[in-house]
Amino acid sequence: MQEERGDTHWSQAISSVLQGNLCWHHRHAASRGTPQDAMTADKEKRRAISREAARRRRRVESDVFGDLSRLLPLQPSVRAHLDKPSVIRLTLSYIRLQTLLKETAGSHEELGHGARYRHGGEAQDGCLFELGKETEGLDPLDENSMYLKILEGFLMVLSTLGDMIFLSDNVSKYMGLSQTELMGHNIFEYTHPCDHEEIRHNLRLTAELGCSQKRDFVVRIKSALTHRGRVGNLKSTTWKVLHCQGRVKLCAASSSVSCVLLTCRPLPLSHTLLSTHTFTSQHSMDMRFTYCDQRVTSLLGYRPEELLGRSIYDLCHTLDTSCLNKNHLNLCLKSQSVSGRYRMLVRSGGYVWVESHSAVIPGVQPSRSRPRPNPSQPLCILCVTYILSGVEEPSLQLSLDQTFQRYLR
Amino acid sequence: MHHTTTAGVSTCSAALRSLHRERRFQSAGMSTGGSDSTVDKPADRAAEEEEGPIQAESTMPSVELPRKRKGEVEERQSLNFNLEDDLSRSEGEDQQVKMKCFREPHRQIEKRRRDKMNNLIDELSAMIPACQPRARKLDKLTVLRKAVQHLKALKAGASGAFADAKHKPSILPHDDLRHLLLRAADGFLLVVRCDRAKILFISESVSKILNFSKLELTGQSLFDFIHPKDIHKVKEQFSSSEMLPQQRLVDASTGLQVQAEAPVRPSHLATGARRSFFCRMKHSRVTGKHEGKHSLPAASKKKETYRYCTLHCTGYMRTWPSGQLDPEGDAADKETPSLNCLVTVCRLHPNVSHQPPKDVNVKATEFVTRCAIDGKFTFVDQQATTVIGYLPQEVLGTSCYEYFHQDDLQHMAGKHRQVLRSKEKIETQCYKFRTKHGSYVTLQSQWFSFTNPWTKEVEFIVSSNRVISGPGHTKDESEAGSSKSTQDEAQQLPDIPGLSTGVGTMIYAGSIGTQIANELSDTYRANSSPSSGASSPFGSVQEKCLLTSRSTPSREEEAGSSSTSQSQADSSKEAAESSGAPESRGDLSQLDLDVPGLSSFSSDEAAMAVIMSLLETDVNMSQSGDFEDLHWPF
Repeated sequence: MQEERGDTHWSQAISSVLQGNLCWHHRHAASRGTPQDAMTADKEKRRAISREAARRRRRVESDVFGDLSRLLPLQPSVRAHLDKPSVIRLTLSYIRLQTLLKETAGSHEELGHGARYRHGGEAQDGCLFELGKETEGLDPLDENSMYLKILEGFLMVLSTLGDMIFLSDNVSKYMGLSQTELMGHNIFEYTHPCDHEEIRHNLRLTAELGCSQKRDFVVRIKSALTHRGRVGNLKSTTWKVLHCQGRVKLCAASSSVSCVLLTCRPLPLSHTLLSTHTFTSQHSMDMRFTYCDQRVTSLLGYRPEELLGRSIYDLCHTLDTSCLNKNHLNLCLKSQSVSGRYRMLVRSGGYVWVESHSAVIPGVQPSRSRPRPNPSQPLCILCVTYILSGVEEPSLQLSLDQTFQRYLR
Repeated sequence: MHHTTTAGVSTCSAALRSLHRERRFQSAGMSTGGSDSTVDKPADRAAEEEEGPIQAESTMPSVELPRKRKGEVEERQSLNFNLEDDLSRSEGEDQQVKMKCFREPHRQIEKRRRDKMNNLIDELSAMIPACQPRARKLDKLTVLRKAVQHLKALKAGASGAFADAKHKPSILPHDDLRHLLLRAADGFLLVVRCDRAKILFISESVSKILNFSKLELTGQSLFDFIHPKDIHKVKEQFSSSEMLPQQRLVDASTGLQVQAEAPVRPSHLATGARRSFFCRMKHSRVTGKHEGKHSLPAASKKKETYRYCTLHCTGYMRTWPSGQLDPEGDAADKETPSLNCLVTVCRLHPNVSHQPPKDVNVKATEFVTRCAIDGKFTFVDQQATTVIGYLPQEVLGTSCYEYFHQDDLQHMAGKHRQVLRSKEKIETQCYKFRTKHGSYVTLQSQWFSFTNPWTKEVEFIVSSNRVISGPGHTKDESEAGSSKSTQDEAQQLPDIPGLSTGVGTMIYAGSIGTQIANELSDTYRANSSPSSGASSPFGSVQEKCLLTSRSTPSREEEAGSSSTSQSQADSSKEAAESSGAPESRGDLSQLDLDVPGLSSFSSDEAAMAVIMSLLETDVNMSQSGDFEDLHWPF
């Protein structure tokens, strides 16, 4: 206490000196007398005391913040760079996550049992033991990273208000921002303004209890990654199209922990096009074929040249028009899309279930010197269509095409 | 075929239209965003830049300029302020002025920072149970201390999980992460040997998806569980090794072929070619408890006792050097230098997209019209043309009664009256509406009246009309309607004078609406100035009758069904109104001459009957009016 008082005097002296310098003009102009001086001295004293109190308060506060950040399961390198709001932000996410997991553990205990059972059960069976060893080589840490790697995306847990409660740490690979930078922030800060309505719609949980809890949508998200995969400047962010799939998790007990679990991944158009059960096609912006690869003949019966100039809407089952329409809209607005399952008519009758992954690309192949597509160039749509099923109801005639095929043969 | 095309074209054009809309919106959004940021963003941004984790703004480039402008404004303001404050400042003190105007936004930055902090603290206190009974607001430090305690408690609860992951702290324990992942992905992890299609590993979550337990599947051939027609497809994925030269990758953003990405993992976990394919797998129905939990995909075929689920498999090829693992393994493994595996996550294919195809509306089945209170169209929506054949401009200004079928006029007039007097929506029965081609289309409408809140008068009626097509469907209802309306007719015959003759119906149909409208406006007048019409004795009587008639519908609504005598009185009342209303001069001698439909009566008897009924009404009404008068004092 004694020390502190001394401290106070000292700081008071310093501050009065400073004050004297600063207020010189002021006093000079007003030419104030000695009582005024006394009053200012008094004021100085009080001010110094309050300053000291504030300093102490701040010290205590930062100690608490230190405690808090030490309690968070973070790497030391990350922890060192956290500021106060971030500490609170992460604490909030952490608490929310724990609440969420507690709920989950309550409702899905059997899964945990299964896990325990696995370790016990495999030991009995010789064959399984061997297999177990193969996979046991991966510790749980590896296994998770393998999951994420195989998924080619990151996990995101969103609250009903759009707060990002959790993001898996590989998010930096997709957005260029680290897990700790993003967690606790709101998704709306990082997504395209035109997609906000759709996101909001997908976050809406109430009154849909009986309804489907699956979510499947495409959003544009900010990415600080440059073309070459380096983390660029935040100010030069680009929009990255992500396909978000997942489900709603409703907690009846406390609505604050209701959330949406999503896996977000870039659209998987960049996959190998090996299978005989896929075909590629190009379309003008109104979905008319401008190119189609040969495989379509074996899959749907159409020759590529007879498809040219025809709309993809001609080929699809009428009941699935809305599905294709949504896909088309997504393409026009977001430049990439996944159609979801729809039916395509087979030339000889009936239909097959297919799914198309498509993207808008510049119509003219850009030259190497100018890798950036010129926006004024005509665009076209590239589709990769996966065939999901065999031909269903081959005797059914659903279009004039099919009828011609049948009776003119 | 035709349908498909038109549907396609229309949806396509719709898509393009909304594209344009979005473009517009986008540009609008940009500009508003820009202007927003002029107002309050710059300081905020500055604050955030200070704090470290920078929040990227969508309108980065547009911010810089307004920021300067804002600075200028503030400079001016603070300059004014300073000048007022102290006039004796010299020119040399410009420096200080400048300092002050830098401090000005700084104060705002500080305030914003504090506000943000306080919000965060509030949120925190809402999440911590110890702070829950929020009778008074806790201070920051207390909240933080409680948060520390809470975290400690949480950690103690989950100590096991934390002990596991000592080497690398992560936000989530790994088991939990895996659990969340599999929940989100709605799938299972699958590792299959490429050469024999043996399932080496499959995660427990498979039981939720395929209803097979993990143990049932491990070690089995994958092909046993795949749809027979998809076996070839899956084989193809196995057979093509990662060395395949013609592997084509297409970059989605440019359409260019690109190189496969270099493996990132150390050598023994080197990844090979990516795989993405769809296949159908068996879904066991052994235990009944999962029955119906997963909706059966429409694509699946029933074969034997199995259903099939469509799965989307994504993953990659992976090679384990055989020496490293499995040293005591069987001979086959030793022969092959390495073990090729396909590592995939199989996700249940979402079945969302084609759930709501039931409401495909290729054809317009509903249109909206707006009428003045006399039933004259003031607005007809574009879609109406596809239903009624008329263009909107052909219909505007004409009375809706001109298009109703003769049989329905009664009913519609009744509903018309009703809607003018109620605030609720009124459903009409099915009725026939004459199209331009002379045929009738069956419609059902929902009417509601719009009351001007200022004048308290009904301004117009909005009607949404649903097309009930198909004569079989409407027959019952229309028959029921007509039988009811004949009943009504017996009582309400004098109601609409134009009706009695078949010939002049259409000519006079329009006036029905006018009459009803006039009734209403009379009601208003009677309502607003009760003493004005009391000059002649007849006038007062009529007014009374109007007053009662205004009150009767509500009474009827309350009572549900009224006695026959009451309803008869009502009907004759209404007759009095409807015929008397157009005049509203309160003069009986003129009344009988000017009743619109009267001249078209075939015989004098009919006309006399009407007049008699009118007179009767007056007598009745004066009586009932008296009764009411008598009732009031009690």
